[in-house]
Amino acid sequence: MLVNAIGRAVPALLALLLGAALSLPASAAPARNAKAAPGDCAACHKAEKVLPAGHPATKGMKLDACAQCHAPKSEQALGGKLPGMHLHQLRGIGCAQCHGDLKKPTEVAHDKCMSCHDTAKLVEKTANVKPKNPHTSPHYGKDADCNLCHHQHAKSENYCNQCHKFEFKVP
Amino acid sequence: MTNPKQTTDLLSRRRFLQTAGVAAGATVGALALPRAADAAAAPMPKKWDVTTDVLVVGTGFAGLAAAIEARDAKADVIVIDKMPVPGGNSAINGGDFGAAGTQMQKALGIEDSPELMLKDMMKAGAYLNHPELARTVAEQSAAALEWSQTYVGAQFDRVNFHGGHSVKRAHQTVQRSGAGLVTKQLEKARALGAKIELRTKLVRLVADKDGRIVGAEVRRGYKFPDEASGTPAFIKARKAVVLASGGFSNDVKLRQMYDPRLTDQFTSTNQPGATGEAIMAACMAGAMDLQMDWIQLGPWTSPDEKGFGYVPQFVERVVGYGLMVDPATGKRFFKESGNRKERADAIILLGHPALILADSTNTTKMVDPGQLKGALDNGSLRKFDTIEELAKAYNMPVDVFVEQVKRWNTYVEQKKDPELDCLIFKDAVPNVTPPFYAARLWPRVHHTMGGLAINKDAQVIGFDLKPIVGLYAAGEATGGVHGAVRLGSCAMADCVVFGRIAGKNAAKQAAWG
Repeated sequence: MLVNAIGRAVPALLALLLGAALSLPASAAPARNAKAAPGDCAACHKAEKVLPAGHPATKGMKLDACAQCHAPKSEQALGGKLPGMHLHQLRGIGCAQCHGDLKKPTEVAHDKCMSCHDTAKLVEKTANVKPKNPHTSPHYGKDADCNLCHHQHAKSENYCNQCHKFEFKVP
Repeated sequence: MTNPKQTTDLLSRRRFLQTAGVAAGATVGALALPRAADAAAAPMPKKWDVTTDVLVVGTGFAGLAAAIEARDAKADVIVIDKMPVPGGNSAINGGDFGAAGTQMQKALGIEDSPELMLKDMMKAGAYLNHPELARTVAEQSAAALEWSQTYVGAQFDRVNFHGGHSVKRAHQTVQRSGAGLVTKQLEKARALGAKIELRTKLVRLVADKDGRIVGAEVRRGYKFPDEASGTPAFIKARKAVVLASGGFSNDVKLRQMYDPRLTDQFTSTNQPGATGEAIMAACMAGAMDLQMDWIQLGPWTSPDEKGFGYVPQFVERVVGYGLMVDPATGKRFFKESGNRKERADAIILLGHPALILADSTNTTKMVDPGQLKGALDNGSLRKFDTIEELAKAYNMPVDVFVEQVKRWNTYVEQKKDPELDCLIFKDAVPNVTPPFYAARLWPRVHHTMGGLAINKDAQVIGFDLKPIVGLYAAGEATGGVHGAVRLGSCAMADCVVFGRIAGKNAAKQAAWG
């Protein structure tokens, strides 16, 4: 029941840990296991091969360990290559921390994101992104909902591009 | 109040038209009488999930103006918007606020009056405007601008011209976007205690047995455009509902009901949520719609960028300075300072994009540097060192085009255009200084002039031609202010003027329960 409530489009958990080109699996999203340990792909994906051949075993790994190969800002960076929930999961942020009581999970409001993420810092961090800083705009200021772009259970999108042509890579 | 019912189940004019396919004019009278009395009763919601005094639908200029006024009159206010971002089209518009007889105009030596603004609006509107509505906007425009500045806190720093006006009267926000006003309105409404609920969609209005509007069924947590998303809830509006839900430029199916030419081949300048369900919901509750056929295309959008884009802010600034030509002939073909409809029709008649250009002196004087850079960066505006080079880039006959530019420049010197009677501004100079800036133009669906019938108190009128108690509307959701053609900058004036009226009157309405 949790599975159905939270989302439907969960691509393979660690399919991209090698940093190879993204190819979201065509197969249906696996049943989601709220107790899955970070890096334990099989906890949800079962026997499905979600890592490229030769990828080191990930069971027990957290995001810091992944980052030794998948360095942030490098070609191998994970951001944008797999749904955000996997990154949260790898940091040890499980379903309940965002969705509350898993028997009756709630949709994640913007304020929930803000309880960990800091808008002001984020705006500063992306100040030099071209052609515009994606975290502040004349239209919606600095308060736009994270989920406009950064989807957690589906591929992220570039909300600005409804009208503009900003070539952002959206993690 | 006993036995309210959801009005969706009434035999509405719209449903009748859809099923029977008859002409509206012949049947409206017959349908006017039985609307509430004979309809099957829908169940009263078992309970109202939320209660407020005034429910406002829409977070644009009009909705927030209503919310602010209603809060100032001590009413409890909930504002809902189906989209995940506030502001609707107001957040992405060009920020030009038409107002007559303002301090800013006086400081610039511009002579203007509400009478002249009304005259311009009526002329452009082909005299189809409901005069008392247009007059209300013109007469209250200066006060609405001042309220936006001094009370809401928006900043305006220049006065622009728009085609079809007699004088410069479009007061522009420093941000060069309507966001400069609507974000301040949002702050103000929140500070005053209005509750803003995004992603809450109006599904239908709820009326009592007498047709009084008593609340609304909504979907909370709605994810545009998934109609099955969200959770149903009922909001009780003790005093009134204010519909400020905008127009339907992005509703291809609906707009084609009124103007079948506007297929999906025409894109729109509007935000994706500019669809017409809220207007339809009001019609189903007995509201009358009018002049829905008049759908405006903006003549200043570029096929080389998306949506509204930057180019309109180049085009409207250089109108009366530079010239517009048909690239197939290299010659002018229509009065650049004409109204939106005249110009859009003329370009569509060409069958291909038109070209507008101005030299460096006129451009840098008139066009905001940020907008100019935006347009150059995305490639929708190009610059050339010579007129000849420009002609070649657009495959124009060079000699004819060069002659045309020379001829235009003599008109600029004389401040008179004997060919097409374009308005030429006193400070315009001949276009001789490189670089020369040029943009291609192809119209996009921009504004729906028609909408709900209202009176000058912003009360929505029903098919019995009487106000529907408890229902107000303002802004693009309404019809009649602009007639056949809305002049540029008159939307902000319309929205703020009628939004304020709607908010004040909604707060004054006697509560039903």
